[in-house]
Amino acid sequence: MLEVNDLMVFFENALALNGLSLKVDEGEIVGLIGSNSAGKTTFINTVSGLIIDMRIKEKRKGGERISIYGNIRYQGEDITEMPPNERVSKGIVVSRERHPVFQESSVVENFKIAGYLRTKAEIKETMDFVFTLFPPLSKLKTRKAGFLSGGEQQMLAIGMALVVRPKLLLLDEPLLGLSPMMQKAVMDAIVSLNKESGITVLLSEQFARPVLPVVDRAYVVENGMLSLSGTGAALMNNPEIKAAYFGV
Amino acid sequence: MKKRKERIDRGIKVRSSDIFALLSWREMLYLGAPRILPVVVCLVLPLVLGPYWQKVLLSVAVVALLAISWDILAQTGMVSLGQALFFGVGAYCAGAMNHYWNLSPFLTLPLATIMGAVICTLLLLPVLRLRGIYFSMVTLIIPLILVRVIEATKIFGGTEGLSGMTPLPSKWIELYLVLAVLLCVLFGFRRIMDSDYGLVLKGINDNDRSVINAGINIYWFKAQSLFFAGAIGSFSGAFMTHVYMFVGMPVFALDYSILPIAAAVVGGPGTLAGATLGAFILVPLSEALRGFGGLRIVFYGVFLVIFIVVLPEGIFHYIQRKYHQIERWVGVEK
Repeated sequence: MLEVNDLMVFFENALALNGLSLKVDEGEIVGLIGSNSAGKTTFINTVSGLIIDMRIKEKRKGGERISIYGNIRYQGEDITEMPPNERVSKGIVVSRERHPVFQESSVVENFKIAGYLRTKAEIKETMDFVFTLFPPLSKLKTRKAGFLSGGEQQMLAIGMALVVRPKLLLLDEPLLGLSPMMQKAVMDAIVSLNKESGITVLLSEQFARPVLPVVDRAYVVENGMLSLSGTGAALMNNPEIKAAYFGV
Repeated sequence: MKKRKERIDRGIKVRSSDIFALLSWREMLYLGAPRILPVVVCLVLPLVLGPYWQKVLLSVAVVALLAISWDILAQTGMVSLGQALFFGVGAYCAGAMNHYWNLSPFLTLPLATIMGAVICTLLLLPVLRLRGIYFSMVTLIIPLILVRVIEATKIFGGTEGLSGMTPLPSKWIELYLVLAVLLCVLFGFRRIMDSDYGLVLKGINDNDRSVINAGINIYWFKAQSLFFAGAIGSFSGAFMTHVYMFVGMPVFALDYSILPIAAAVVGGPGTLAGATLGAFILVPLSEALRGFGGLRIVFYGVFLVIFIVVLPEGIFHYIQRKYHQIERWVGVEK
C-alpha cells in the first residue's frame, strides 16, 4: 500500500532522514520506533505531505531550506511531491503529535470541522463509532476541547482523523504525555479500529513497551536511519531493543 | 549523482565572530563596515542633498525613530498600532512648554522626551495585561480619543493648535541633532536588546508564562519597554514641533502610526536596523512618487504588497544572510 524508497530529508545542512526505506501492506499495523530526534515526526510529515507546505513557507521567508530526495509510492502512485490536501482525498490522514485540537470549539464541532469533506450522515456514523471506541468522550460532547485533559484530547485527535475516513492512518506519537493506563486504552482502540474497519495504521512512537506487542511489524530508526526491523514479537525479544527501550 | 544547495557561513564570518582571530585589514573591514557605513551615510547625506531633500531627510529620521520604537515594543510582545500617541504626546509637551513658559528648544526636547514617555507609560499601564490584538486596539484608539479631547475642551489651542514655536538655531543643527539621536538610539538599543536584559524582553514575546516561571515580573519589564519606546517616539514628536514651529491635532494622525509599521515590516522586524533601513527606503520613495499625483498612494501600496509577498523576511534579514553566508551546490552522498 505504502512504499518508501531511500527517503532523504535535509533541513538546511542537517540530515533528518537518511536513506529510509520501508513498506506498509494493506490491513497492517506498522510501528516506527525511535528515541527523541530519530526523525519520526519528519517521516510522518513527509508521508502526510505537511513538509511540502513547510518547505514553501520556509522558502518564502528565507528560512531553512528543506530538500527531499527519494520517493514515496502510495497504491502504486508516486506521491512524493503531491500537496497534502490531495493526499487526504486519496485516504492518507495524519493525526499530529501533541494532540492538536481546535481549543475554542466543542468536541462535536471539532469532528464537524475535521470531517468537512464528508457528508453529514458519514460524520454522524463515524462520530458514533468514535464514541464507542473511546467511551469517555461521549460524556463530553459539548465541552470545549481546550478544557479536555491530555488523554481526552488525544482521543479526540485520533477521532478527528477517523472522521475523514482514512485508508492509511498516520499517528504521530499517539501516546505522548499519557498515563500507562491511558496508553493501553489508546492502543486497544487502535487495534480494534484496525480489526473492525480495516484501516491500515502507521504509528510512530518512542514508548516501545505498549506498542510492540500489538503491531504486526515494526521498524526501529536511529538518527534518521533504519537500524532494525521485524515483527513486533521478534523485536520484543531482541536484546538491543530490550536494553535501549525497556531498560532491562 | 544528485545535487543539493548548501548554505554555509563564510570563513571570514566564522573567524571574525566565533574565533575572533582577525588576520588582515580586510577582515577588520568585514566586521567594521556594517557599523561604520550608517555613520558615514548620516554624516555625508546632509552635505550632499539639496534643501528640499534635506527636509525629506528630517522626516526619514523621524519615521526611522518611530519605527525603532515600534520594533522595541514588538520585540517585547506588544504590537502597537499607535505610534502617533507617542509622537503626539511628545509634540504637545514640547509645544506647550515652549509656548506657555518660553523654554528654549534645548530644554524642551529632553524634558518632553521624559515627560512624554512617562505620560504614555501611565496611559497604557492599565492595558499592559492585555495581549495581542486587544493591546493593539487600545493603542490605536487612545490617539483618536486625545484628538477629540483637544478639539472639545479647546486646551492647547484647540483645533487651531499652537504656533510660533522657537525654531532650532540652524538647519544644520536640526539635521545633525536628529541623525545623531537616530544613530545613538539605533546602536544603543541594538546593544541593549542583545544584552541579558534584552533577552528577558524577547523572552516575554516568545513565551511570557515561562518568563513568569523564572521569577520575573513581566509587567514591570513591559512597562520599561513601553517607557523606552515612548521616549523615542516623544523625542521625534518634540523635534518635529520645533521644526514645523507648530503643534496641532495632525500630530495624532494615523500616518505616524502606519508609516513606521510599514518601514519596520519592509526593512525586517526584530533588528531595529531593519526598521531604520525601511524608513530610509519608504519615505524617499513616497516623496519621489509625488509626481504621480493621486496615483501616488496606489503605486506606494502596490510596492508595499509586492515587497511583503516577495521578501517577507525583510530587506535587512536578506542582506544580512547574503553578507554572512554563501550557497553552493554539493553532491548528496548516500
